[in-house]
Amino acid sequence: MSGGTSASLLARIAALAVVVVFFQIGVVSEVPVFGVSVDLSPLMVAFVGLLCGSTLGAVTGFAVGLLVDLALVQTLGVTSLTFTIVGYWSGRLRELRDPQAALTPLLVGATASAAAMVGYSLVEFLLGVDAPVSVDLVRQIVLGVLVNSVVALPTWAVVRRSLEGGLPEDPRRRRRRRRAYTTGGLSPLSRS
Amino acid sequence: MHDKTVRRRRAVLLLLVVLSLILLTAYFGEAPGGRLHSVQRGFLTVISPIQDGANKALKPVRDLFGWVGDTVHAKSERNQLVKQVDKLRREVIADQSEKHSYRELLALYHLDRRLSVNAYHQVAATVVGKSPNIWYATVTIDKGESAGVRPNDPVINDEGLVGKVTQAASDGAQVSLITDSSVGVSARIGTSGATGIVQPKVGEPNDLLLQYLPANTQANRGEYVVTSGTVSSSDDSLYPPGIPIGQVTSVNEESAYRSVNVHPLADLHNLDVVQVLTAGGGSLPASLSRLAASLPPGQHASAGGTAGEALAASGSGG
Repeated sequence: MSGGTSASLLARIAALAVVVVFFQIGVVSEVPVFGVSVDLSPLMVAFVGLLCGSTLGAVTGFAVGLLVDLALVQTLGVTSLTFTIVGYWSGRLRELRDPQAALTPLLVGATASAAAMVGYSLVEFLLGVDAPVSVDLVRQIVLGVLVNSVVALPTWAVVRRSLEGGLPEDPRRRRRRRRAYTTGGLSPLSRS
Repeated sequence: MHDKTVRRRRAVLLLLVVLSLILLTAYFGEAPGGRLHSVQRGFLTVISPIQDGANKALKPVRDLFGWVGDTVHAKSERNQLVKQVDKLRREVIADQSEKHSYRELLALYHLDRRLSVNAYHQVAATVVGKSPNIWYATVTIDKGESAGVRPNDPVINDEGLVGKVTQAASDGAQVSLITDSSVGVSARIGTSGATGIVQPKVGEPNDLLLQYLPANTQANRGEYVVTSGTVSSSDDSLYPPGIPIGQVTSVNEESAYRSVNVHPLADLHNLDVVQVLTAGGGSLPASLSRLAASLPPGQHASAGGTAGEALAASGSGG
């Protein structure tokens, strides 16, 4: 990754993070669906990790989490901690498995949302919030994950399109494409 | 080369996790006036105008989503409201005769200095930010210390009690809603007058529980719960009496104390404009709030009577 590409990618991620957090706070949080709000932030962090790898995923998670905690006047560090882990995990998933299925973003989004909510709840419990685990709390988390899953694919499309120009060419994908052409896949050359 | 990449990746993760834990520990351990809280307030001051602008620009989008949801619920809500209007009309007719006697009694007992919403300065504010998670029932408003807003100021809207100000920056403030686990409101049931503390229902972030009611309290479904105008600890906000909080949905029979489930009247998911009740220095609310803050824990100060009565209450241990 050249320095220019890297700077361009970082600028795109930073701009995307700011837009997503403000859009989340100003609009999305105001529209409850089945009693819960869609939370775009963990989806965005997971998708950045899925596109850019574990290191950038973790750094984005930390920065987005800090921004959310600052903007919403919450306990600093709670969201950063959970989002850092979410971003790192999705990045490692890409580095180790590189899943290509069409529904991968949906599954990653759902898992990231669940991890963020459960992780957040765990930290809050550790900090001494007076709320025992109840069926209603579990229901809220399940509903939150479902609602986030519904918007996972559109969010993935937006994140991918926003970062596309700054992403470096992945040699593994290039190899995979070449292999597909040579093993019977439809090559663009064969059409002509 | 590969080892170097792996080491760097792990080092970044470790660094970020440790940094998060340090932030968390430092923030959780420091006083509200501490350095990290100040940084947060400073950030709030900087982003409040941006949030305000974004809020105004994105209002059409929000309204569009809101319209879809509102349309779905409009019909059932309309039928409920028609029934409610009929019930209220009957109650108003019944209350009119009692109102006259009540005014006479108030004058007779010199309770016309009773603290009310009118004793406060009302600052209208727009909600510019809202926490999306289920743990923090907080909103951010576009008015802060420059408009006279201070921590612990009560916040209401046209439907009822919304919450209280927990942090104030110069041009913005954070409001903890009544469904936030950190908020407790001294309240009474409208008809019986039994008093207790309204707190969020555990595991039900959208519902409230009026607790610590006397065991013989009679409460019926649909009765209104209003602020009692007292505080139970020095950390509490002094809400003026009579602000509607919610309606009783069911009664829980318990051994020593009785509690009732309360559904908030204010639609806390769709807050747009709220009013902050601020108290100018030297005013009756300000002096009563000072008095409440000076009480030792466990004692109650009353805003329902005169300052002398409140002093008497503090002297007798609430």
